Amino acid sequence: MKKKLLTLLMVITLPFGVVACGSSKTEPAESATPATQKSATAETKDSTAGEKVHLTYALWGGEDEAKNTQKTIDKFNASQDRIEVECMPIPWETYMEKLNTMAAAGQLPDCAIMSEAGVIQWAEQGMLYDISKMYDGSEARPLDSLAFTYQGKPVAYSTAFESLLLYYNKDMFDKAGIPYPSANADEAWTWDEFVEVAKKLTLDKNGKTPNDPGFDKDNIVQYGCMIENLTWQLEVWCLSNGSGFYSEDGSKVIINDPAAIEALQKIADLYLVEHVAPLSSGLTDDGVQRSLIAGTCAMTTNGAWNIGTCLAAAREEGLNYGVGVLPYMKEKVTINTGGPNVVFSQTKHPEEAMEFLKWYALEENNWDALIATGIWMPTLDSYYKDETLTRKWLENPAYPEYEEAKGVLVDYAMEYAKPASWYYVNNTTDFNSLLSSVLGDVWTGKITAEKAINDCFVALEEAHAGNN
Amino acid sequence: MQNATVSSTTQMIVRKNSNKIEKIGNLICFAFLIMIAALVMLPIWWIFRSSLMTNAELYAWPPAFLPNKWLFSNYKETLETFKFWLYFSNTMKIIVPSVVAGTFTATLCGYAFARLRFRGKKLLFSLCVGSMLLPNMVTLIPLYMMWTQGFGLGNTYWPLVLPYFCGGGAFNIFLIRQFISSIPRELDEAATIDGAGRMQILFQIIIPAIKPAMIVVALFLFITLWNDLLQQTVYINSPDKFTIAIGLSMFKSGLKADWAKIMCATCLSFLPGVVIYLFGQKYFVEGIVMTGMKN
Amino acid sequence: MQKKECMKKRGTPVMRQEERTAYLCLIPAFVGLIFLTYVPLFAVLVLSLFKWKGISAPVFNGINNYIRLFAVDPYFKDSIKVTVIFSIIAVIGSMIYSLVIAMLLNRKIPARGMFRVLFYLPYILPAAAVYIGWSWLYETNFGLFNYILKAIGIKNIMFLNDSVAVIPSLALIAVWLSGNLIVIFLAGLQNVPRVYHEAAQIDGANSWQRFCNITIPCMSPIIFYNLLMSLITNMQVVTPALALTNGGPGNSSMFMTYLMYKYAFKSNQMGYACAISFVFFIIIAIFTGILFKTSKSWIFYEGE
Repeated sequence: MKKKLLTLLMVITLPFGVVACGSSKTEPAESATPATQKSATAETKDSTAGEKVHLTYALWGGEDEAKNTQKTIDKFNASQDRIEVECMPIPWETYMEKLNTMAAAGQLPDCAIMSEAGVIQWAEQGMLYDISKMYDGSEARPLDSLAFTYQGKPVAYSTAFESLLLYYNKDMFDKAGIPYPSANADEAWTWDEFVEVAKKLTLDKNGKTPNDPGFDKDNIVQYGCMIENLTWQLEVWCLSNGSGFYSEDGSKVIINDPAAIEALQKIADLYLVEHVAPLSSGLTDDGVQRSLIAGTCAMTTNGAWNIGTCLAAAREEGLNYGVGVLPYMKEKVTINTGGPNVVFSQTKHPEEAMEFLKWYALEENNWDALIATGIWMPTLDSYYKDETLTRKWLENPAYPEYEEAKGVLVDYAMEYAKPASWYYVNNTTDFNSLLSSVLGDVWTGKITAEKAINDCFVALEEAHAGNN
Repeated sequence: MQNATVSSTTQMIVRKNSNKIEKIGNLICFAFLIMIAALVMLPIWWIFRSSLMTNAELYAWPPAFLPNKWLFSNYKETLETFKFWLYFSNTMKIIVPSVVAGTFTATLCGYAFARLRFRGKKLLFSLCVGSMLLPNMVTLIPLYMMWTQGFGLGNTYWPLVLPYFCGGGAFNIFLIRQFISSIPRELDEAATIDGAGRMQILFQIIIPAIKPAMIVVALFLFITLWNDLLQQTVYINSPDKFTIAIGLSMFKSGLKADWAKIMCATCLSFLPGVVIYLFGQKYFVEGIVMTGMKN
Repeated sequence: MQKKECMKKRGTPVMRQEERTAYLCLIPAFVGLIFLTYVPLFAVLVLSLFKWKGISAPVFNGINNYIRLFAVDPYFKDSIKVTVIFSIIAVIGSMIYSLVIAMLLNRKIPARGMFRVLFYLPYILPAAAVYIGWSWLYETNFGLFNYILKAIGIKNIMFLNDSVAVIPSLALIAVWLSGNLIVIFLAGLQNVPRVYHEAAQIDGANSWQRFCNITIPCMSPIIFYNLLMSLITNMQVVTPALALTNGGPGNSSMFMTYLMYKYAFKSNQMGYACAISFVFFIIIAIFTGILFKTSKSWIFYEGE
């Protein structure tokens, strides 16, 4: 009996497996199967003129974005008859794993959006196609600060311009009777002014601030601020204190400079000494949610994309927030970044891939999904210089009031933004992750920033040189 | 046979004496279990209650045990973008053949290691155990090359299913072997004397006795495959072939950080696992009765 | 007795038939082992001797990867320490927890089926969601646990932000996740012949004596399996670091597999990552070997 049952099971299983897998296998070969096969067929296609070049564009992002991107891409496919692009959505969690695996097997897609930190490293390893000619002879150019450069040549352009700024809860400021942070860089707070304001906005359960006697630092119910301490964002404070992570050209690590160390210690002291900020260890990417949206902090710093990714929805639920310029230590500065689009050197069709990326980077092509919603800031300089275009961009329901938004996202960003170091420095992935590990005990006050950095400075230099 | 009669008489005596003590003991255990269960459920409850909240409420301080308004509409909205049924049927295409084949081949293999004598047993067994020591991640790239370049099976389910036709993993082989080792050998020796072949012993004596273990193996295979994000993302490219694990992760990668809906999708995604467990657990109880009689 | 006779009879048709059956049973598994484990493992070993970044051709590097690992690497030593400490806490914790729960669930208590589902649930949940859920509970400033601690007047614990607290905190999640061990124990408890218990009860043994002298010995193959499985899976732990801590704060949760992952998939250093994974393979093998060696003295196989 049992034997029969099991044999029966086996008999059922085998064809089931065959059917299940077979059905997927018999589907058209163009569904992004191995690039080797594809490019082999594509080469023969090239010779027979008139047939389309098939490209794959990899991206992360949720279902919605994948769908919207595909819609945009369909527009591109319909606009000409030589190139056919297909998008390959990959979940962010395993994005780099998949790309790395495909790269090792020589099966990368033709082009993709990548994480910023890896671009220069991939370029060094010869995996990115030199796209310096991409914008030759075209009028609409992206901002210069958006080019990732390796050995002086651009290897990628960001799909968006994202700068760091200060978000704040207007209701909390009103309640404390304090004027809002300014959206004008000329009126930016110094660090000490910023800490003073944060103190007035920090309340323990009895309603006392750190300035009052009897303040209970173990029972704080509202914090004045939270400086996002994801490693790459910390760079802005080192720059602000007249130093930085690296020397001007990115060739040397200068984070052991007393000014850089002082800046990092000041961030840690917000929690340790001033008691105006919650403990944050710079590991998770939901700072705005944890602070501003949760209603636990009056001010927080983070990138402009948060306007679209979470603040727009929070405002509908009743959050009254505003944007301002970052406070400064010695120099007024912010940094900018943005996911880069790259063409992989493994592609057989670099020209077509560049043509597609160029088209795709045009604002009007991804306007509804990404720019109007506040997730991306435009990359073309005309949006920052031509007021009608600026208005078209910023007078969207997702954005804060026009004057505020323009002050921070346009004027401040244009005048004071420096590209984050990963635009031109190699091995930032290793450097940032080591630095994050080094600073772990600084945030909790176990060691000082000075000791942490100096103890590991050699390792940091090695990481920057790509030796570990 | 003798055992059975002894056991029934002893059972009667013992029952009379210890019925009361056992009942009190059970009650204490019950209370203790409720306490632990509450602690165990806390994180799960946290995930579930988060799925019914607004995002502001979710991060609010002080943290709330119950949602202010139970937003079941979150689930409706989630299902609009989270293509649960497509992902579910895709995942089943991988899971059904893998689980059946994996359980079966693991049983065969575990039986050989536990009961049969053959040359090279020690070496083969060490090789088998050795394969457990390697995290999947290590061989990801060589295997990817083999499946896609060697066999041209990129963007199909084959690379995910075929490995389970090869023993269902060393852990499971080992589990089955351990269970067979704990069954009295007298049972199959008696059958040998009756003239049963080795395979007959497996099917007629061993398999009925280790049914709970086989159910366990099947459950483990199910869960492993259900949550195996890394392998699945690496091999599958087209969205129409996405599985639950990929779908969930895609949902999470959305540029808009909507945690409440992410938690909705999470809660939806583990429902089938619960159902399968409930289903398997029934057999599990049945297994108790059967082995109980045998002894 | 019988065994010895059989050994002598190696050449007899019965033996040969048994051997044939055995090999037949093992064919599928060994095709898998060879092509899916050992061939790739060999490839890993070979690659570990190369410097291989990205798509550039691998360059032979001798044992330099290994030298770098032991002499220079800023994470390596910490990662071994962290992994071993984590594994010890997690293995002991989850073994005790799951055995106790399984024993309780094996009694005739009300709503037994429901309880079995409850304790198994954590294992079913997708790991990523589990860790997000826990991160909310653990959050230092606003999480539930610290809220409760504050309410009863205890000072905040900086669960995941503190380099001392992070390993116990992650180990607690590992214990919580060990529903699979409970299931195996439950299945194993059914194989303990009831007659033994009943006979012992008549002899006046109390439940603790019965637990030590009957349950534990009869369950020993299963206990060994669970011990081995939980040791290996905990030594290969990577998800908490991926989902929650990125190896921090400091190197305090820089698990070995996470380190390997970091080099392989974040910094594109395949050759070096292969060297790391090979060293870790050997470390895990040593621990497993010790477990196997000591097991011989306490495992009681019914069949032998």
